[in-house]
Amino acid sequence: MSQHDVKVQRWLDEADAAMSGDSESRRDVLMELQSAIMDRVDERTDKGAKPDEALDTVLQDMGDPGEIGSSFLPAPILIGSHQTRPFMINTALLFAAHFVLVIGATVAGKSMGPGDLSVSPVANPSLISMFTRALTTLLFDAGLMLGLFALTPRLARTFRLPRLALAVRPDRRRCFEGAAFVALVLIAVNFLRHDLLALYIPTTDGARQVPIVGTGIQHNLLFLNVWLILVVARDLLYGQLGEKRWTLWFDLVTCATGLFALLRVMAADSLIDLSGAQEALGPSADGIGAVLNQVFYLITFVGAALLATRVMRRTVRLASFAN
Amino acid sequence: MPSLFDKIGAELRRGLIQIAALSLLRDRLYGYQLVRILADAGLETEEGTLYPLLRRLEKQGLLQSEWDTGGARPRKYYRLSDHGVEALPRLEQTWREIASSVTTILEQEPVSTDEEGA
Repeated sequence: MSQHDVKVQRWLDEADAAMSGDSESRRDVLMELQSAIMDRVDERTDKGAKPDEALDTVLQDMGDPGEIGSSFLPAPILIGSHQTRPFMINTALLFAAHFVLVIGATVAGKSMGPGDLSVSPVANPSLISMFTRALTTLLFDAGLMLGLFALTPRLARTFRLPRLALAVRPDRRRCFEGAAFVALVLIAVNFLRHDLLALYIPTTDGARQVPIVGTGIQHNLLFLNVWLILVVARDLLYGQLGEKRWTLWFDLVTCATGLFALLRVMAADSLIDLSGAQEALGPSADGIGAVLNQVFYLITFVGAALLATRVMRRTVRLASFAN
Repeated sequence: MPSLFDKIGAELRRGLIQIAALSLLRDRLYGYQLVRILADAGLETEEGTLYPLLRRLEKQGLLQSEWDTGGARPRKYYRLSDHGVEALPRLEQTWREIASSVTTILEQEPVSTDEEGA
């Protein structure tokens, strides 16, 4: 791919990020925009301009790709452009307060904070453990703040400067797919671990069981957070790779499997009755369950890494824009 | 920084582009061709305005489109649909009536406030 093509593709990717709608509609719009760009470039080169200069001028004349993209198929964005900065500041503040509590709890050797919101100490305070805890804390806080901003936009103070949005798209179809995907992972893990309503977290002395439903706000928020991050990660992954035939099949298989898994859950005597769920879900396989736990964690961390990358990229671009 | 005059002018043009585009699309044209023709006629328009408009008109059934992949690059051609062909004369009539009304208003002498009060 030439430098010329890379520039065009980058511009189209940005336009794509601001669009909602199905992949076919978006592809159609992008092809039309690409064709228009090339027509404009040809017109300029025919008049004697150098191809690179012509392209730069055309892309500049075309305007902000995000605005163009959203004018075609506007995407409802979770964090609007005017909220990007307050979102980052609020997340950073929450993370700082949260991590101070984690350090306090670790030094004191006991949980700190009220009731369900108490913060537990890091069991084995090595550098890796602290780093892992920092990452999961950031993941939790970013997810919490995403939820808060999405539910209560008025909470966000508006700043004039940033024009670029994080462009996290809560597209209904993608959200359903994300939910189905999370359901699939959770059901798969718990299917093999005999307990439908618990998440297993690997620790140095074996897996620790953390109930998900009905046992505290933290665990439910963690669940919401993981779901949000997976939706973002999935959006990012598709944004990077582009939607291809295999991603369509992936969507279909994910949705179908998630639905199938949920139907199996509903077939259990009671959602709360774990013995009924055990019978409905079949035998245990601890070894594979443990591997799935790791896979689940890997997915979560990849999600966090992708989100962090996006935020960093946006930050760099915001900085360059401000300069 | 566009002036207020520029903004109002752009809004006026945006409203007119719809009927201008429909009228031009009695012929089969692709987006950039349309941009050029409109610009030559004094109706400068941006991609972010024209292309979404074409899609909306297509969705409303007034236009139909097809991709031509035979040339140097794929191009999406638009033209009036059967429904668009039927609707265009009525839209033109509406436009003429509006244009006539606005022209009449613009050519009127300003109403004196003294007369109004009397």
